Amino acid sequence: MIAGALFYYQRHWWQNRLLTRVRRLRQPKYLFGAIVGGLYFYWYFFRTLGRGGRGVRISPEHQDLAQGIAALVLLVMVLLAWIVPHSRAALSFTEAEVAFLFPAPIGRKTLIHFKLLKSQTVILFSAIFMMLIGRSWGGGNPVIRALGWWVVFATLNLHSLGSSFARTKLMDRGLSNWLRRILVLGAVGVMAAGIILWLHYTVPPPPLLAGGTTDFIWLGRYANEILHSGPLPYVLFPFRLVVAPCFAANAGQLLIALGPALGVMGLLYWWVMRSNVAFEEASVELSRKTAERMAAIRSGNWQAARKPKKAGRSPFQLRPTGLPAVALFWKNLVSAGSLVTARAWVFLVWIVIFAGFLLQSQTRQAGGPGAALAFLALGLAGLSLFWGPQMLRNDLRQDLPAADVLKMFPMPGWQVVLGEVLAPAAILAAVQWLLLLVALILFPNRLGTHSTTLGGRISFALAAAIVLPCVDLIALLIPNAAVLFFPAWFQLGKEGPRGFETTGQQLILMFGQLLVLALSLAPAAAAFAVVFFLTSPLLPSALSVLLGGAVAAVLLLLEAGMGIRLLGGVFERFDLSGEVLAQG
Amino acid sequence: MEIAPPLISQAAAPALIEVDGLTKLYGDFPAVTDLSFSVRAGEVIGLVGPNGAGKTTTLRCLAGVIPATRGSVRICGRDLASQPIEAKRRLAFFSDEPRLFDYLTVDQHLNFTARIYGVANYREIGRPLLEELEIADKTDKLPGELSRGMKQKLAIACGLLHSPEVIFFDEPLTGLDPIGIRRMKDSILKRGRAGAAILISSHLLHLLEEVCSHVLILKNGRKIIDGSLGEVRQRFSEQSGDTTFEEVFFRATGESKGAP
Repeated sequence: MIAGALFYYQRHWWQNRLLTRVRRLRQPKYLFGAIVGGLYFYWYFFRTLGRGGRGVRISPEHQDLAQGIAALVLLVMVLLAWIVPHSRAALSFTEAEVAFLFPAPIGRKTLIHFKLLKSQTVILFSAIFMMLIGRSWGGGNPVIRALGWWVVFATLNLHSLGSSFARTKLMDRGLSNWLRRILVLGAVGVMAAGIILWLHYTVPPPPLLAGGTTDFIWLGRYANEILHSGPLPYVLFPFRLVVAPCFAANAGQLLIALGPALGVMGLLYWWVMRSNVAFEEASVELSRKTAERMAAIRSGNWQAARKPKKAGRSPFQLRPTGLPAVALFWKNLVSAGSLVTARAWVFLVWIVIFAGFLLQSQTRQAGGPGAALAFLALGLAGLSLFWGPQMLRNDLRQDLPAADVLKMFPMPGWQVVLGEVLAPAAILAAVQWLLLLVALILFPNRLGTHSTTLGGRISFALAAAIVLPCVDLIALLIPNAAVLFFPAWFQLGKEGPRGFETTGQQLILMFGQLLVLALSLAPAAAAFAVVFFLTSPLLPSALSVLLGGAVAAVLLLLEAGMGIRLLGGVFERFDLSGEVLAQG
Repeated sequence: MEIAPPLISQAAAPALIEVDGLTKLYGDFPAVTDLSFSVRAGEVIGLVGPNGAGKTTTLRCLAGVIPATRGSVRICGRDLASQPIEAKRRLAFFSDEPRLFDYLTVDQHLNFTARIYGVANYREIGRPLLEELEIADKTDKLPGELSRGMKQKLAIACGLLHSPEVIFFDEPLTGLDPIGIRRMKDSILKRGRAGAAILISSHLLHLLEEVCSHVLILKNGRKIIDGSLGEVRQRFSEQSGDTTFEEVFFRATGESKGAP
């Protein structure tokens, strides 16, 4: 009877969820999102489904090595489940499930069965997802691959549950987390030492080539030798059984591999069901925390998803009078955490200068590690223009769910927008300046046949240091504009939309933002080019670059100023009753 | 409970909240329709009505959180639509759920609020406020470390820091313990006596009976009646003069008092 009720709940949960998704396709924003999301998934995953995979395939002679490595990875994951966790066994339920199921006349074992059944959804999706991703390197029959992944995930799920129960039992018997970790790590250490000793005396290492390296064929043979002789094959035996279905080439091999793998799963299931551990209290707490975290994530508030454990230090002394926008800037810097204090940045700059000059004094040739680091730093600084605004979201994207609070502040809209975007812009600029400093210190003296003078390097770095923060401001204004113009496309409410139509919406927004960024940067880029080409015959090129950078920065600042004014007006007219409050 | 007389004579006191023809539409749905009333300095007005009457929408419109579709709202003589900053500088709105920033401590919340409202002497004002609200020893705590009631007290401390002349409360007693409830009632009365115009939305009729001088009853977004408690009671009492406010509410809104 109880099982029937739980099946009923699960079936209708899915049915209603699916119906809601289908119904909302009547809204254009979801329909467009669904079309773009569908095309994306088709293009990326399903296009090659019937063509037997693409990309690099694992050759048959390497299958066994790959299986051994997969078993080793599984062993590490299982060991981590005994080492890392520190809390009591807690099954993850939603708050509604806790409210309805925990006080109901339902036995603990039924709850575990329900949880196992429910987790099958995630496991099945994960298995299909891995099958689709894995086709680029594994190929093979998709059903066999999906089944193989299902066995691995289901086994890991059962083990995770069983080990959490066992850990709780050990805690109840007085074995602390640290003692358990020491015991497990000790056992692992003894086992590893035994294997290494055995290898040392029985398996000769691969021959070294000139320069102390060895080639991949020998390395492969050596790894195969390790995995197939001595004690390691015995240690890996159960794990090989679990991963074997993943490597089945046909239905016959799959059937043969499935038997033992299901046997291992059966043993784990028996272990889980035999454990009688009270998980309810910890589950209630977990469900509360999960609900809070999900609400924060769905509201786009990733910072709040990580609830601050301790108070952040004020990045600077906020005076009680002055431009109110500074208060928002200060607040968002506090929310970014302790890394944003001036002390932390001074420390970082000193490290960069010290390590940079140390490295630079040893290797400054093109192709050396210093030069590689310089190019890496430049590349990261360039990339930060794209990933920075996506990662640093402590602006309106974080605060819009609290827009009713912002709306009450006695400050004009442009100040709200300015205050909101300043913090991520400042953090991003600081990161970029640090990267520029690395590049400046380590940049090679010669690039091919051209020599790079110190003056030239400094002028390029200064021009970039002036221009980048202005570009950051514009790059950050774009997603904030998207939030204000298309708030429904951002996940604001507690029950924000999910699914592939949302992926489509994100893709549309991303391409839209890139397009707007490119258009916004075009005038400044043109101005830079004009100034550089007009002045370079008259001035040293280092000075022309600096001058061009300064003109471009002024143009970008003007654009940013106009953008802030425009968005301020939008914020003032922004009707929360139609957006945030309706979703909240 | 004895209510001390206000510091300002109410008849001569200026109207600090003036609402004229306020209408708010959600799409085609009228949440509030053609609402007009005023609240003078020192008056405490209770906003009551059944669920869906438009109380919270009214409060949000008055606080400038959402724009009115039609009509005007003046706070201390400043039009909320054309002079929003001047108007907002003079008001405080306390929603039923305290809205705080997870990553700011109690002290940082006060510092932040002081900068937003330009309260130069916020330390001198904030300290007694925190002591009055009994959270003076929690200045370095994050909201996550505070109980529901303490969070509400912090929200109140932040809201009162700039000494607002107009105060809006949405269900102010939610989550408070009996001592907190007592202190909240005293605090409302104290602000009223000091000359603030206060509007309280609540379903707790006994609270309104205890602290309010005036009442405004809404139903389906429309005003049924507003006036002093005595006037409203007299209007809806039948023959007997000692009609309870609960009975007045049921008669005014035409709701059934019987249990389901």
